[in-house]
Amino acid sequence: MRIGTAKQTYAADEALFDTNVQRAWMGLFIALCVAFPFMASEYWLYMACLVAIHVISVTGLNIVTGFTGLVSLGQAAFMGVGAYAVAYAETKLGTPALLNLLAAGLLTAAVGALVGIPSLRVKGLYLAIATIASSIILHFIFANWDSVTNGVKGVSVPPARIFGVELGRPFALYFLILPLAFLSVLGAANLFRTRIGRAFIAIRDRDISAEVLGIPLLRYKLMSFALASFYAGVAGGLWAYFFRVVTPESFPFVYSIFFLAAIIVGGMGSILGSILGAVFMTMVPEVLKIGVGVASPLLSDAVAVLSPVRTIVFGILIIGFLVFEPHGLAEIWSRIRRFFHLWPFKT
Amino acid sequence: MSGFDWLFFTEVSLAGLGAGALLALTGLAFVLIYKATKVVNLAIGEMLMIGAYVFFSFTAGLGLPWWAALIAALAAGGLLGAVVERAIIRPMLGESAISVFMVTIGLGSVLIGLVELTWGAAPTSLPDFMGKAPVFIGPAYVSRKIVIGFAVAAAVIAVFLIAFRYWRGGVALRATATDQGAAYSCGINVPAIFSMAWVFAGVAAAGAGVLVGAVGGISPNMGVFGLSALVVVIVGGLDSIAGALIGGILVGLIEAWAGTYLGGEYKLLTTFGLLLIVLMIRPYGLFGTVEIERL
Amino acid sequence: MTLTRRSALALALAAGTALAAPAALAADDIVIAGSIPLTGVFAFAGVGVHAGIQDYVKIANDAGGIEGRKITYVAEDTAYKVDQSVAVFNKLTGANKVHLYYGDSTGFAKTINPELNRRGSILMAGASFATELNDPKAYPNQFMAGPDYTEMFGILLQHIAKVKPGAKVAFVNSDTEFGRDPIAPSEAMAKKLGLDVVVKIVTPPTAVDVSTEILKLRRADPDFTIFHGYVLAPLPEFMTQAKQLGLKTKFMGTFWSMDNSLWPKVGDAADGYMGVMPYRYYFDTEGKSSMLEKIRAMRPEYQSTPYMQGFLTAMLFVESARRTVKAGKELNGANLKAALNSIENFDTGGIIGTPITIKGNSIPVGRVYRFDAAKKSMVAESDWIQLGK
Repeated sequence: MRIGTAKQTYAADEALFDTNVQRAWMGLFIALCVAFPFMASEYWLYMACLVAIHVISVTGLNIVTGFTGLVSLGQAAFMGVGAYAVAYAETKLGTPALLNLLAAGLLTAAVGALVGIPSLRVKGLYLAIATIASSIILHFIFANWDSVTNGVKGVSVPPARIFGVELGRPFALYFLILPLAFLSVLGAANLFRTRIGRAFIAIRDRDISAEVLGIPLLRYKLMSFALASFYAGVAGGLWAYFFRVVTPESFPFVYSIFFLAAIIVGGMGSILGSILGAVFMTMVPEVLKIGVGVASPLLSDAVAVLSPVRTIVFGILIIGFLVFEPHGLAEIWSRIRRFFHLWPFKT
Repeated sequence: MSGFDWLFFTEVSLAGLGAGALLALTGLAFVLIYKATKVVNLAIGEMLMIGAYVFFSFTAGLGLPWWAALIAALAAGGLLGAVVERAIIRPMLGESAISVFMVTIGLGSVLIGLVELTWGAAPTSLPDFMGKAPVFIGPAYVSRKIVIGFAVAAAVIAVFLIAFRYWRGGVALRATATDQGAAYSCGINVPAIFSMAWVFAGVAAAGAGVLVGAVGGISPNMGVFGLSALVVVIVGGLDSIAGALIGGILVGLIEAWAGTYLGGEYKLLTTFGLLLIVLMIRPYGLFGTVEIERL
Repeated sequence: MTLTRRSALALALAAGTALAAPAALAADDIVIAGSIPLTGVFAFAGVGVHAGIQDYVKIANDAGGIEGRKITYVAEDTAYKVDQSVAVFNKLTGANKVHLYYGDSTGFAKTINPELNRRGSILMAGASFATELNDPKAYPNQFMAGPDYTEMFGILLQHIAKVKPGAKVAFVNSDTEFGRDPIAPSEAMAKKLGLDVVVKIVTPPTAVDVSTEILKLRRADPDFTIFHGYVLAPLPEFMTQAKQLGLKTKFMGTFWSMDNSLWPKVGDAADGYMGVMPYRYYFDTEGKSSMLEKIRAMRPEYQSTPYMQGFLTAMLFVESARRTVKAGKELNGANLKAALNSIENFDTGGIIGTPITIKGNSIPVGRVYRFDAAKKSMVAESDWIQLGK
């Protein structure tokens, strides 16, 4: 709570951005995002698009895992469903790109609700494993339903076209992916100002109590899975437009673990955490690579020698965050903010 | 087709039993840790890998006889379990199960990196130490390694079952599993029990690693075997040793039948399908303890 | 290549510019970049490929580069993940003017293909021998430094048809894109050669125990069993158990499971294992092979088969660039590819034991080698087999 921001209405209390300073920062951030593609190199644009796709997927996962407390290790497989949906629509039906993305989201939501059914009886880690099972089954379908998925060879996707403009390069796709990422995050943030979002949180905190309070567990748990899958489906559809080829091996099980790691590093049950987690986890391998590059003059052929170190550092980061900073980057962020708000006083 | 080939079916089933025993042994390591500390250790596959690599170093590298190398591998596995418990798991006490689960995923990544750093990334195979003569049960052929694997796994699981029934430490572990607070107040050193469970699990995993490595070769990504073992313990029930055994055999048999009569690509599908069905009927596995929730 | 009036004019023009501004061109390096899997499941190959490319680039530069222009090699690790490979591609092509590229996987080759075609400035080769990539129409800016997987099977099947006409053959493949790649066309090919495919076995990617597959193999009792989609596991276990059972089948494999360092540890069970190799081994002494001698002088210890693959790829890169520069043409994808396809009866310095001609995207040449457990090394089993001749 900041000094001088006494709220007088409930609406003000619930607002997403409660001060003008915040709004100004947000405006600056958006302006930067718009200006970014005109300044950045191809590589940074590529990374930005990838990060934005991950932000969408991680936000979705945070809805089901961070806010509703249902662990899902199937997010990558759901992305696969979305990617195949787009690939199929684009190659066989030729429908417009935005419609394809929406359809991908809706189809994946339906699949997600189906996969969520065990969550009615199964809890905690058992549920996590059940979602692994679902993703294995989805993977089998990707690899063997030849008429739709073209088997292990996969499908090549033509570039997205929106109103006659071809979005082939990261530069063009950036203007499709980033707004969608913004919308997704905004949607998720608003979700938790509604009855549905609060019901999710109640279920996470104690599902039996939530039921006593009159929240139908069946409906809300499935809804949570469906929502998370919708996000995954859209992210997967964008992924398909971005990489332009979809194969069963594009969405391995470790990709799901990557997403789970992202919400843990970012902060479970925090929208900001989803963003920070997605950015951090996507950039860590790249940053480590730069580190290896810096070390190469000192060690001959450091690329080959130091590469396993990257795997180790990746693991250590996950462990380190969980042991020392369980609330993730979102907590570090708010600590830094608090420091500036309260300065020169101590927190 | 002149009727059903029963000999073939028997051979396939025996092979499935053997593979199931390896899964059960790895499952045992899962169960030990879960029972004592309520941690699902996803790094068990990587711990298994470390055991196999240590064995490899001592036999192929230093030229020790296989039994000496085996002892070294088991000791290394136990040591690894102890270090992991003390350094990573202990500070996580009281955190949510999911967080601890994720910690073990991080641990798995660290172990893979260490193996690549120490032994290189190339796949290789363990020197043969099990002999070569084929084994026939009646007219049915069984692979020798699978027979040895089955015997070892069965013996180890039997020893653990007996130990939990009669040995003081085993009883203490069961007490801890049932109610930590009560165990504390009875004078049981709960942290020591935690360490013990991890050490034993590390030893079991290293032993399983040597067996799995002998059958399938070793490489930095052999840890995926742990995922199959995870299915076994979920089917059997996360906190039941007998469940691991029966789950292992069940999964082994079903994989063998599916692989033979449907084709290899159906193996994973059927095991995970089985997993889903079991979970829908019995949410805590076949033999797992049902957790009763109170408000 | 026929010399038309236009190309003659272009040649003359280019020669003129080359004479006019030699200094500016000389400062211009020719850049080979690479997405190399130095970590992850394919790291064993990536490390070899990396060393192979480095060594050939060094040899070429010591010999004066390409018409006086220096060759530089830049690479980054991809962990064998497609998204990281693409990131590396964007990074390296952003920071350097890249002419030649080494890609690490089939997935990457397919993903980056539209971008290669759009840029048109890069010729790419890589670690993938996927049959799908061997299509100059769909993949005009790519090639592979060896036969594709179907051609590898073709070489093996031809060898089988020669030594034992009408033999019974079994295919064993892993349930991955890599594993399934050549199976369907190879079955048709076997039929054409008069061979009988008695059983096709698929193993899941995580397979450890192969007892049930062995039982199937025992029932089918083939003369030859061809593996594809594996590196090492579960081949040794197949061999050991087949030996225990006294099966008569001989085992065969494809390029990625042919490295000599894999098999001595397997020992006697692997004796007689055969496979297709597009290159000579590090220790091959037959014939005259100037390049192998250079490699042995540079690196006294054994170098892997992926090393040879990287080495030859770099050689073909440099040769294509040399021909393009010599012709005075711009270094772009189409010209480099045309230069590559102009390679005819080319001596690889003994890396491949026969002169090669590159018509399309692959080099359909290979030889069957056999593992000799007593010598602990691979020995040549057949002569060099050229498909389509």
